[in-house]
Amino acid sequence: MEAHPPGRSHRTARVWAGQGLRRERWLGYLFLLPMLVFLLGIIVFPLGHALVTSLYRETGVRVRFVGAGNYLRLLDDPAFWNSLRVSALFTTLSVVLHLLLGMPVALFLNQLRRGRTTLRLSFLTPWMVMPVIGAIAWVWLLDPHFGVLNYLLRSAGLIAADKIWLGEPDLALGSVIAVEVWRGFPFVMLILLAGLQTVPKEEYEAASIDGAGALQRFRFVTLPHLRYLLVVATTLDVINTVRAFDVVAVMTRGGPLNATEVLPVLIYNMAFQANRFGPAAAVGFVLLLLLLVFSALYILLLQPEPGVARTP
Amino acid sequence: MMGPRLARVAIWGGMLLLLAGTLFPLYWMLNTSLKPQNEVFLSPPKFVSTHWTIAAYVRMWTARPIGRYFLNSAVISVGSTLLAMALSALAAYGFSRFRLRWERPLILVLLLTQMLPATLLIIPYFKLMAELHLINTYLALILAYVSFALPFSTWMLLGFFRSIPLELDEAAMVDGCGRLGAFWRVILPLSLPGLVAVAIFTFLLAWNAYVFALVLTTDPNLYPLPVGIANMLGEYQVVWNEMMAAAVLATLPVLVLYGFLERYLVQGLTAGAVKG
Repeated sequence: MEAHPPGRSHRTARVWAGQGLRRERWLGYLFLLPMLVFLLGIIVFPLGHALVTSLYRETGVRVRFVGAGNYLRLLDDPAFWNSLRVSALFTTLSVVLHLLLGMPVALFLNQLRRGRTTLRLSFLTPWMVMPVIGAIAWVWLLDPHFGVLNYLLRSAGLIAADKIWLGEPDLALGSVIAVEVWRGFPFVMLILLAGLQTVPKEEYEAASIDGAGALQRFRFVTLPHLRYLLVVATTLDVINTVRAFDVVAVMTRGGPLNATEVLPVLIYNMAFQANRFGPAAAVGFVLLLLLLVFSALYILLLQPEPGVARTP
Repeated sequence: MMGPRLARVAIWGGMLLLLAGTLFPLYWMLNTSLKPQNEVFLSPPKFVSTHWTIAAYVRMWTARPIGRYFLNSAVISVGSTLLAMALSALAAYGFSRFRLRWERPLILVLLLTQMLPATLLIIPYFKLMAELHLINTYLALILAYVSFALPFSTWMLLGFFRSIPLELDEAAMVDGCGRLGAFWRVILPLSLPGLVAVAIFTFLLAWNAYVFALVLTTDPNLYPLPVGIANMLGEYQVVWNEMMAAAVLATLPVLVLYGFLERYLVQGLTAGAVKG
């Protein structure tokens, strides 16, 4: 057994003395080895493989090296720009609506005295359900002739005739956004709720005593405490929404007329419908670049902000 | 200015409306699954039926391969869970018990892999698995899902392990276990909530996953639930009550597990933070 200098803190593993630890360190890496080997083989190597793929282009049966050709071609590719536009719309609207729905629900749940768990779990259900299942449920709801949504809207006098929700370009984009909003707002709500529960109640009381109304309490007590979490939640949400594939793939596969072809769906269609693996990989790396930018933001924001309460 | 009572009513009203909108699609899914065949296409549609029956469920189970899909999903999910737990527990132990020079960059890389888009990885996975003759195998999917589950699992277990004092390791080692013994007998049992959270998280990740299975399985006998059910959507005549029955069946394990996950996840996150 190794000898340790006396009087050191026992709380964490970090406070080991320097000497005689070379063997220990080697053992430590040994514990990491299985995971590292795994990640190397299953993430790093395939990424490199994909990068190489992106440097080649398939033409008919031949595959030839084009270097950065696939990437440069994207600049002139209308399908790529369309997809970028659709992704931007899809992500922005979804994330904004996630916040607009998630915040009020979080505020509401936060001040509940009873029934909070049940209601919270109820609001959480769209997010718990498999994306594929949620999408399928909505496809049935949006069915032009037998779907209940058209029936309800017609009965309420909001539309005159049945709308083909997934068949018309603008309606389809709106529909997939609506489904993604339905699916995703509980995630944001949960993070915000956790944050709200760390806001000290005394500050609300103090503000009330000073005469602040509900809106002012929100602005001057709640928001400052939540600011950090709001940014984290938004960044995470953007990262997840930009990558989202299942809902769009199941509902529209990117159609009609590429109106819902977000970047992940474009990649899939290019690779597995059109068999253009090289260009598809190139789009994939563009997507990765976008995500890395947001991830960098996220990691930067993870550094604790001084003086503001942070939820674990 | 609205009186406080009116404001309360308005807020509760709005929330209940939102709740209704949130739950309605799932209710409709359940409702349709219980309808007999002749009521599915009624116009106006029935919101509640006196003829609710489980016939669609029975037909789905007997005449359709949903049992097979369930089996595939179960094998893949359990396999992924076990592998992910083993790898992440070992790695978290290494991070928490040893002062490693590369710790911070490694953890950073780990977190970054969490951000990778699945649709980028499906391209090399497809090509590599095809070369290795691993298309249409459970193994290919298990490997893929574990790689996605590892970062978060390791990070969460790291938090747990860090909160366990070193004396316990040392006491175990004095009693004659090696490092591995200390890990197995002392650390693991004490981190049970974290392990359960990791297990449930990985299981659900694998259970709900779609795109990898879509790409890596071409034999319908190997479709896991998401692919199998989504596939039914492309049929010429979709039998909606059966489809919805399949959807409900696929969702039940998820809802049950989330019930458990809630408690352990909260425990896991807070324990991870109290490492001082």
